Amino acid sequence: MEMLMQVVVAFVATVSFAVLFQVPKEQYLYSGICGAVGWLCYLLVMNSYPSPTVSSFAAVVALTLMARIFAVRRKTPVTVFLICGLFPLVPGAGIYYTAYNFIMGYNDLAVAKGIETIKIAVAIALAIVCTFSLPAPVLGKLSGVRKKL
Amino acid sequence: MLLIGKAQEGNGLEKSREVLELTTRIGEVLLKNGGEIFRVQQTMQMIAKAYGIKNFHVYVLANGIFVSIEENGYEMRKQIQTESPELEIASQIRYVPLSSVHLGRVAAVNNLSREIVAQKYTVAQAWERIEQIEKIPFTSNALQVLFSGLGSGSFCYLLGGSLIDSAASFLSGMLLWCFVLFISNRKANKIMVNILSSALVTLTGILFYLFLFGENMDKIIIGSIIPLLPGVPLTNSIRDFLNGDYLSGTIRMIDAVLVACCIALGVGVVLRIFPVITGITI
Repeated sequence: MEMLMQVVVAFVATVSFAVLFQVPKEQYLYSGICGAVGWLCYLLVMNSYPSPTVSSFAAVVALTLMARIFAVRRKTPVTVFLICGLFPLVPGAGIYYTAYNFIMGYNDLAVAKGIETIKIAVAIALAIVCTFSLPAPVLGKLSGVRKKL
Repeated sequence: MLLIGKAQEGNGLEKSREVLELTTRIGEVLLKNGGEIFRVQQTMQMIAKAYGIKNFHVYVLANGIFVSIEENGYEMRKQIQTESPELEIASQIRYVPLSSVHLGRVAAVNNLSREIVAQKYTVAQAWERIEQIEKIPFTSNALQVLFSGLGSGSFCYLLGGSLIDSAASFLSGMLLWCFVLFISNRKANKIMVNILSSALVTLTGILFYLFLFGENMDKIIIGSIIPLLPGVPLTNSIRDFLNGDYLSGTIRMIDAVLVACCIALGVGVVLRIFPVITGITI
């Protein structure tokens, strides 16, 4: 139940950013779905293997895959879905805690948080790279459209 | 209007120039509104090809476009071998400063280029379309403010804040976007905008926590800085690297890191100074 609520909120959050980044209205629903799927995946992995880095990686892979599928099916640039969906996973909390600990003089904690933030950012980058490296025909099959990207 | 094709070889350069200007304009709109380098480059090449331009060269950077076309260039002279016709070159350069993202325009240009490739538009009609696309408005300020708040509130909840925290974050997210809109209209530079606005939300976060409502100060502040986060440059930078555009990827990566540092700075300074000035420990 808690998880369902979280996924719904992730959907709302993603749609909010879709509005802020001027995504066309007819794509709101789909970018929201991308964000919700990403967050669901994050929660599921977090439950069984509580590491933010690994969870972020898995979530971004799922999210990017969804974004690419929607891009093919809806003939819209993949950025439209990817950017908004990625927002819940960008390590905003990491930036905050790094700054907080650094300023408060807790240098050990600041370094630890800073490194964790960088790790998450790298995991996100890696996940995007991996998913985009899937060749277009594979994706065409996944999305049920037989056409080049 | 005539379609530019292989048919008109007479005043080739004149026609080619029109196409050159059109593609440059389209590339400019795409790049300015947050398209990836690879997309800009590919779109421009496809459009030029659709209008029958053969020697079309384009180089796109995160903030610049360089295009040139040749008529009777090297290839041509090699083929004819006899009297070489005059070599004619036309080129365009555009400086495209980093600016605010409008994904709706990116999607619209994408459709336009698909239609041009399907030979649905003459050059003049395509010009009309691209000017229309450039004028697609941003959503109204009120809506932007509302959704900034909504985004902040939801993030606060996602990151473990209570409902009360989310309410505080919602309000402070709305305030944040009002401030961003206000200050952006006054041409303040991006670094100061980020430092000042993250400082502002940190301050409101502290005030909410101390005097109004809210249970976790950190969650409130994290929620409300989310709209400032460099999600777009980060994503674009990764994709540029992936496509081998290392220089543009680096430019955008620096943008992302700089924004993140500015946010951290704004938050940190307020957290540090507030207790000193007011004597209240947080």
